[in-house]
Amino acid sequence: MAKIFIDEREIDVAEGTTILKAAKSAGLNIPHLCYHKAFIPEGTCRMCLVEIEGIPKLELACSTQVRDGMEVSTKSESVIEARKGVLECLLADHPIDCPICDKAGECKLQDYYEEYGLFESEFNEEKEKRQKKIEIGKNLIHDQERCVLCRRCVRFLREITKNEELGVFQRGVHTEVSTYEGILVDNNYSGNLAEICPVGAITDKDFRFKARSWFLQRSESICPLCSRGCNIYVESHQGFSRFSLPKRVYRIRTRENQIINGFWICDKGRYEYSYLDQERLDNIVVNNSQDSHSWPEITSLIAGEIGRLYHMKRSAHIGLILQSWLSNEELFLIDKIFRNDINIEKICFLDPPEEAADDFLLTAERTPNRRGAKELGFDLQPANWEKFLEDVDLLFVFASPIRDDTDFSLLKAALDKIEKTVLFASHNHEINSSFDIVLPMSLIAEKGGSLTNIVGSVQGFSNALDAPGDCRPAWQFLVELGNKLALNIDFYNQFSDPESIREVMKKEISFFREKQ
Amino acid sequence: MIKALGYFIEIIKGSLITTRHFMVNMWFHTLKLFRIKTKRKGAVTIQYPEEKRDIASRHRSLHRLLKREDGKPRCVVCMLCVTVCPSECIYVEAAEDPDPEVQKVPSTFIIDLSRCCFCGFCVEACPEDAIRMDTGQIEFAEYSRDKLIYDLEKLTG
Repeated sequence: MAKIFIDEREIDVAEGTTILKAAKSAGLNIPHLCYHKAFIPEGTCRMCLVEIEGIPKLELACSTQVRDGMEVSTKSESVIEARKGVLECLLADHPIDCPICDKAGECKLQDYYEEYGLFESEFNEEKEKRQKKIEIGKNLIHDQERCVLCRRCVRFLREITKNEELGVFQRGVHTEVSTYEGILVDNNYSGNLAEICPVGAITDKDFRFKARSWFLQRSESICPLCSRGCNIYVESHQGFSRFSLPKRVYRIRTRENQIINGFWICDKGRYEYSYLDQERLDNIVVNNSQDSHSWPEITSLIAGEIGRLYHMKRSAHIGLILQSWLSNEELFLIDKIFRNDINIEKICFLDPPEEAADDFLLTAERTPNRRGAKELGFDLQPANWEKFLEDVDLLFVFASPIRDDTDFSLLKAALDKIEKTVLFASHNHEINSSFDIVLPMSLIAEKGGSLTNIVGSVQGFSNALDAPGDCRPAWQFLVELGNKLALNIDFYNQFSDPESIREVMKKEISFFREKQ
Repeated sequence: MIKALGYFIEIIKGSLITTRHFMVNMWFHTLKLFRIKTKRKGAVTIQYPEEKRDIASRHRSLHRLLKREDGKPRCVVCMLCVTVCPSECIYVEAAEDPDPEVQKVPSTFIIDLSRCCFCGFCVEACPEDAIRMDTGQIEFAEYSRDKLIYDLEKLTG
């Protein structure tokens, strides 16, 4: 351990820590552009200069390691002067086109100018003209004028994805970041470049000119598009009071989690978010009619149907098709109601087939909770559909969301023969019209719960968005169904939110108890 | 009964004020007739709408969007006017411009004038001097609210 003094504050840190990290641990922010926690410090931007007692020149906080008894000053006159100088040099070669820059509002250069600059430019010469719109990847646009040459992008491609698609070319004032002979950045993690760029030099094509960053509200969620369970922020626009917007979610960003995804998410998770807004089902549909129905009414109806079959000792004729988009809590409730209480055997999973995984985050399973289902004792093997659909009188299908490539041909043929069919869906899909009752479901981003990822980490999440229309989370429906069935009232009465369900799960299932 | 009395008292008070104004103005107009210069002048009614009063040079009237030399709107959709507008009556959508020096142009620019309070914050916030409230048009009342929703075409004029 080393004892150092930063701005006369005593801080105890481990030997070998850099000054910048030590300051951060004490809640002091030293400005920096090129430093990023994930990379080896390179010290190109010179924003993090600090004064160290006994050293005549200013030193870099990002790469200088602490020494016992070191006295650092981050706010002395010479440090502020140096920061101002660095900023002035950076801005002298910057187009200052903040009005059209997508980074405006979350740009470090803007923030530091507000904090340390606020000077009038003394640069009267013509600014260097460079290319302002170069496509450097299928989702990325590069503006060479805005670039401050921090080399975060170059280091990301060198250290994380290891395919070195960007490099630094030329010298002096002509230095620029560019691709090698026009070969585009083409990897599944390219979207991270736009996020780590401290200025607006690399911007997202998907987010280009869609919204300004200060209108977006960010809320925590978990990416459900594969079984890695990457931590994400869902950034949504609340809309304007007098003008409606075409969508809610404008972008997905990474949320740091060192155990699961580090600082990164893949491009699939980042760009395939349109399912949150497109073609959403937001009302209960019974027999394809336009009449409005309420949840309590439909829950009673379904509970009545189940009760009738159960009391006639025909519960073997109830079929249940699940999918592993359901959270741990929901699968637990399904297990309790359908397997424990009414004792049905026809349960199977309709999950999309596995796809190619990559060697970093993206997994082959394209649903978020297969591991959770396995831990709860469900059989995930693909069912023999013909055998499964024989002698079914009441069929429940959970399909939120439905993927366009899901094969419904066998199911569709069987649906007509089944007396009553209930679909839990989140999107409008042609298959919806074949069901007697279609119930609108909330998606992962719109509900609370927990998911178990491929390596068995159980991660809780809460709703990042409000559910549209009548949509409800499946757990809420299941708790009410359990209450209405009245087979084990005391058990279902204790659940008011996903947390209370998780508490009971922890008591009953050792896997979830150990994971906390 | 006493209430009714109060009513008549107010009417008499009102008539006295009218009479006072009439007499005072009459007095100044009579002095003017005899070429006697006074500091205060007799009131004159402007015969609106046949006659119109001059608008002050710093007035705020109907908005207009300024154009670049080539006829494109100057607006770059930075959304600062949308952000600052206290009555939330501006809505702007961006489109891509092929010119890399311009890049961002408005595809939609709507001002709901039925909600606008003419504070002029949008003009102050604009970094591109793309919106001004200096048209001098102050008469644009309509019979329906829909007609008060001005789009890009109407605003660029």
